[in-house]
Amino acid sequence: MQIIISNSSKEPIYEQITNQVKSAILTGELQEGAAIPSMRKLAKDLQISVITTKRAYEELEKSGFIYSIVGKGSFVAEQNLEVIREKKLHVIEEQLNAVITNSKEIGLSLDELQQLLTILYEE
Amino acid sequence: MENVVELKNVAKKFKGFAVENINLEIKQGFVTGFMGENGAGKSTTIKMILNLLQPDAGEVKVFGLDYHSHEKAIKERIGFVYDGNVFFEGLNLKDIKRIVAPAYKRWDDDLFYKYIEQFELPLNKAIKTFSKGMQMKASLAIALSHHAELIILDEPTAGLDPIFRRELLDLLQELMVDGNRSIFFSTHITSDLDRIADYLAFIHKGELIFNQSVHEVAENYALVKGKLDLLDRDTEKAFVHIRRASTGFEALTDNSSEVKKTFGDRVVIERASLEDIMYYLKGGIHLG
Amino acid sequence: MVNLIRRDVILQKKYLLTYIPFIVFFIIMESHPALTFLVASIFIPFNAFAYDEKAETNILLNSLPYTRKEIIAARYLGAIVYMVLAIGLTSLALLAFGEPFTMKDIAIGNSLFLLFAALTFPLFYILKSGHTFTVVLLSFLILAGIGPQIVIFLAERLTAITDFIARFSVSTLYTGAGVIVMVIYALSWGFTAFIYQRKAF
Repeated sequence: MQIIISNSSKEPIYEQITNQVKSAILTGELQEGAAIPSMRKLAKDLQISVITTKRAYEELEKSGFIYSIVGKGSFVAEQNLEVIREKKLHVIEEQLNAVITNSKEIGLSLDELQQLLTILYEE
Repeated sequence: MENVVELKNVAKKFKGFAVENINLEIKQGFVTGFMGENGAGKSTTIKMILNLLQPDAGEVKVFGLDYHSHEKAIKERIGFVYDGNVFFEGLNLKDIKRIVAPAYKRWDDDLFYKYIEQFELPLNKAIKTFSKGMQMKASLAIALSHHAELIILDEPTAGLDPIFRRELLDLLQELMVDGNRSIFFSTHITSDLDRIADYLAFIHKGELIFNQSVHEVAENYALVKGKLDLLDRDTEKAFVHIRRASTGFEALTDNSSEVKKTFGDRVVIERASLEDIMYYLKGGIHLG
Repeated sequence: MVNLIRRDVILQKKYLLTYIPFIVFFIIMESHPALTFLVASIFIPFNAFAYDEKAETNILLNSLPYTRKEIIAARYLGAIVYMVLAIGLTSLALLAFGEPFTMKDIAIGNSLFLLFAALTFPLFYILKSGHTFTVVLLSFLILAGIGPQIVIFLAERLTAITDFIARFSVSTLYTGAGVIVMVIYALSWGFTAFIYQRKAF
C-alpha cells in the first residue's frame, strides 16, 4: 500500500491517509479482505505519530472501509461498490447543479462550460 | 491500564522556584512530548516521576503503583536518558554495563550488544572520550536493554546536530511499533515533537498549561490575524496573547471554534505551530 | 545489594593497582601496624566516595531499581566487607615484610576505621557535592598527621583502663569496645539513611 504524505498541505495528515486508502479501495487497488499494515507500522513507515494513523484507521473503520481484529491486524472490509458509486454520483450531480446555476448567472453557455470542464478534467 | 504515569495535584517548592498543581498523564503505547522553555520545570517534573525528588504535595503513580511500596518494581520497568552523562566518565561501556546490568532482572545482553553494534559504539573506550551524540546513544543503549516499558528522555536532543536528532527520532519511532511501550520526551526544541509526539504536555513557569493529544492542540490553538478595531474587552477574552502592530493584530487563541463563531470571515485563522504556542504563551498574560 | 558493593571495585580497577604499593609504603615507613590497618581499610570506601563525586552517581543509582535504603546499606556493609579484605591483605603484606603485628593492632586499627567511617560517612550526604573531595583530603591529612598519636594515646589509655579494671578479662574489654564502636557505626548508618531518604537530586 503506497501513501504519499504532504507536510505542507492544508489537509490534515490523517485525512490524507483516509482519502488515499479510500481511493485505493474504490479503484480496486486494495481488494476486499486484503491485510493493511498495522497503524504502528504505518506510522513508522510514514514517519508520523502513531496517534495520527490511529485516527485515520478509526475514521476508516467508522465509515466501513476497513475492520480490525485485535492481535491480527486491519483488513479491507467488504464494500458494496454499487451503493458507494451511486452515492458519489449523487454528490457529483448536486455539485454540477451548483456549477450550472453559477454559469447561468454570468451567462456562460453550455459549450463554454463543457470546454472549461474538458480543460480542467485533463489537467 | 491506560496511563503509565499519573501526577495528581503535584507540587514542589524550591527557593525562588516552584512547580504547582501539576496534573499530568502519560498514555500507554504513545509518545508524550514534554515541552517548555529552559527552567520551566521540566527536569523537576521528570525527577518527581523517577522519585529522585519527592513532591511536597500530591500523588505520583507509575504503572498504577506508588513509590512508597513499589519503588524497585517501578524502576525495573523504566529506561532513562538524561541530558548529560550520568555514567562514570572514566569507565568504558563494558564496565558500565557490568555495573548497570545486574541491577535489572530483565537485562538482555544480546539486545545490549545489538544496540552497541547498531549505534557503532566502542566498548573499550572511556565514556569521556565520546562525543555528545555518542554519549546519548550510549545512554539509550543502556536504557533499552532491559525491556523497559516506559522510556523517559530528558532533553535528549539538546546539543545534538540535526543528523543525530533525526536518527534518534527514527529510532524512537521504531520502538513505538511495540504497542506496550510508552515514551516521555522532554525538549525545548519543538520541531522534535512535530513528527513523533502523540500527546503534548506544555509546562510554563512551573505550571502545566495543557496535556492534550496533538489533534486536540491543533484544533484548539490557532493564530488569528485581523484589524485592530475588532478587538474590545469582550472579544479579547478569546485570546491567550495578543500582539498589536499598526498594521493589525496577531493573536493566539486556545479556543479556535469560539473565535470562528465570533469573528467569522473578518479574521484570518491559521494553524499555530508548537513554536508559535510556546512563543505566545511565554510572552503572554493569560487574558481568558 | 552485592552489585552495589561490587561496583566500588569495578570503578576503582585502575586505582587498585596502587593499592598494594600504598600498603607497602606504610609498612616501609615503619608506621604503627594499627595505622597501616587503618589506612588500608580506608582506601576503597573513601576512594569510592571521591569517585562518585565526579559523575552524577546519585542520579544514576536512584534511577536504577535500588531503594535509597539499599544504596546506603551497600555503603556501610561494603565498608565492612572491604575492611575484612584489607585486614587479610595487610596481614599478608606485613608477614611478607617480616613486620610483627598483633590482634590488638588489627582491633585498634579497624575500630578506628569504623569510628572514622561512622563520623565521616554522614558528612558526604550532608555537605553539598563538590565539597566531598575537600572532606576526604582534610580527613586524610588529619589522620596521617595525628593518627599515630591517637593510636599511641588510645593504646596507653587502653592499658590504663585494663589496669584500672583488671577484674575484667582483656577479651571482655575488647568485646566491650568493639560493641561500642559497632553501636556508633549502626547509629551513623541509621542517621545517614534518614538523611538520604529526604535528599533531592
